[in-house]
Amino acid sequence: MHLAAVDVVLLALYGVFVLGIGVLLRRQVVNSAEFFMAGRHMPAWVAGLAFLSANLGAQEMIGMAASGAKYGIITSHFYWVGAIPAMAFVGVFMMPFYYGSRARSVPEYLKLRFDEKTRAFNALTFAVMTVFSSGISMYAMGALLALLLGWNLHASIAVSAVVVLLYITLGGLTSAIYNEVLQFFLIVFGFAPVVYLGLRDAGGWHGLAARVPDTFVHSWTSLASADANPMGIEWFGMVMGLGFVMSFGYWCTDFLVVQRAMAADSMNAARRTPLIAAVPKMLFPFLVIVPGIVALGLTLHPNAGAAPLLPKLADGSYDYNMALPLMMSRYYPAGLLGLGLTALLASFMSGMAGNVTAFNTVWTFDIYQSYIRPRESDAHYLWMGRMATVVGVLVSIATAYGATRFNNINDFLQLVFSFVNGPLFATFLLGMFSRRTTGDGAFWGLVAGTAAAALHYDATGVTGGASLLPKLAILHSYRSEMAQNFWGAIVAWTTCFLVTIAVSLATRPKADDELRGLVYGLTRHDLDDDRVWYQRPAVLAVGVLACTLALNVLFW
Amino acid sequence: MHLDIRYPIGLLLTTFGAILAAEGAVVRAEVLGVNVDLYWGAFMIACGATTLGLAWRASRR
Repeated sequence: MHLAAVDVVLLALYGVFVLGIGVLLRRQVVNSAEFFMAGRHMPAWVAGLAFLSANLGAQEMIGMAASGAKYGIITSHFYWVGAIPAMAFVGVFMMPFYYGSRARSVPEYLKLRFDEKTRAFNALTFAVMTVFSSGISMYAMGALLALLLGWNLHASIAVSAVVVLLYITLGGLTSAIYNEVLQFFLIVFGFAPVVYLGLRDAGGWHGLAARVPDTFVHSWTSLASADANPMGIEWFGMVMGLGFVMSFGYWCTDFLVVQRAMAADSMNAARRTPLIAAVPKMLFPFLVIVPGIVALGLTLHPNAGAAPLLPKLADGSYDYNMALPLMMSRYYPAGLLGLGLTALLASFMSGMAGNVTAFNTVWTFDIYQSYIRPRESDAHYLWMGRMATVVGVLVSIATAYGATRFNNINDFLQLVFSFVNGPLFATFLLGMFSRRTTGDGAFWGLVAGTAAAALHYDATGVTGGASLLPKLAILHSYRSEMAQNFWGAIVAWTTCFLVTIAVSLATRPKADDELRGLVYGLTRHDLDDDRVWYQRPAVLAVGVLACTLALNVLFW
Repeated sequence: MHLDIRYPIGLLLTTFGAILAAEGAVVRAEVLGVNVDLYWGAFMIACGATTLGLAWRASRR
């Protein structure tokens, strides 16, 4: 793939825009509330698009297209089952507690609701995971640019890290959010033409359906049995593991996304943030998964005179990760190629900025201010936030280089994510909806849930698959790593749920006065009855869920 | 006074669209029989101009 002058101009212009936003916002950042919480002045639509973009890392774009090529439209479950219901839930039911408690972070909410040790557990695991995740994303992007364009890996990592560092250090969370919104539009405009051109080349949806196995264009019909679909998972594991535990664990409790909603300018805007994000989210399978299916279709049955699109690896399987880049390479002329690459770069930067801003907030408020230097001035914490941004980016770079030595570090991180996020949702569910849940219950539930996930991983395997960690015994073999992860999350959630209840019943709960605004039964509920329908979270949630149901039926 | 994010969005879409449309008009490269740079560039200009118009109208209120 070779870049023309016009492509380079577009890439350079994008750099000017993102840095320009940071410079313009620099004077606005005068205190820690502006830097870490964007002054809580974001309109709902801006917070909503940032909520979505923070999740759109380069791995998401490349990975979902790869999964589309490998598994077909069944990958849409990561959106229609594994995201939208959880986004509706957090908007309608959980945001009143996050926003209403005036907590500055998710770990701080845990401190208010439970106790210091539960906050510390969540803050430490979250801080470590975010910088590692950011570094792995950085490496993935650098490796992709090296492969596609022959760019130097070190230069790619350094330049992108410096750009993200500059605009966050200058403008804080506001700058990150504004750039995420800008990046959202770039991603949509950069990838939409590949969908149109790919489908046109494949003969439309019906032409595409004739080129791929039947299971690749239906999302539910093959889920009756794990043997009937390429993902190796049955409907219960999909709905409970992905649709309930992993999805709710991520969208409802991960500070990376929740931070965007907490920056909204009112309670109503905060509640609408995930619901607004859900609208483009439910359409994203068409943008990222369909190109993958097209790539497979044009590989299995190429048009006359055209070569198969996907290359084969040494083991005979297709290189699915190249689906989206190769589609762009085949269909994008000079100009559009620059736009597409800018979109890829934008997706990487939005994912990295999301991780770094979440890290600097949790580090400064939940670790530094709580345990290292309490009672310092606001200016000191603002300075520390900027230093945490620098350190976060430096650790991310170190992780990126670590990733070059271990080809399975990303898989390992995903595994750790499933250990941590799965049980956390049980903690929040019991904490927000039952005043009887205690701090000891929450803490030991989290520890037990995480340990159960590790034990489940250690006692199970994947047929024909290699293990990331040494095994004690294999009591059961799953058909795919995805099935193993989904069931691991179910085990972790259930263990945390039961242990939290058991320990809570044996310990003394907080008094009701301490729980007002933090627990469902002790919080005033604003139904927003006097607002127009599109400003009412419950109405939006019903609409979003109905549309998602319709999409599931359409692609049944 | 906070920056209205619609200005940078509109400016970015309009600028990128103009560059794409110019490239399409000059080079006339076709993919599957479509001058995709020209048409997509024109569409981006329209979207960018609309966004700038909305931001300008909001600032006049």
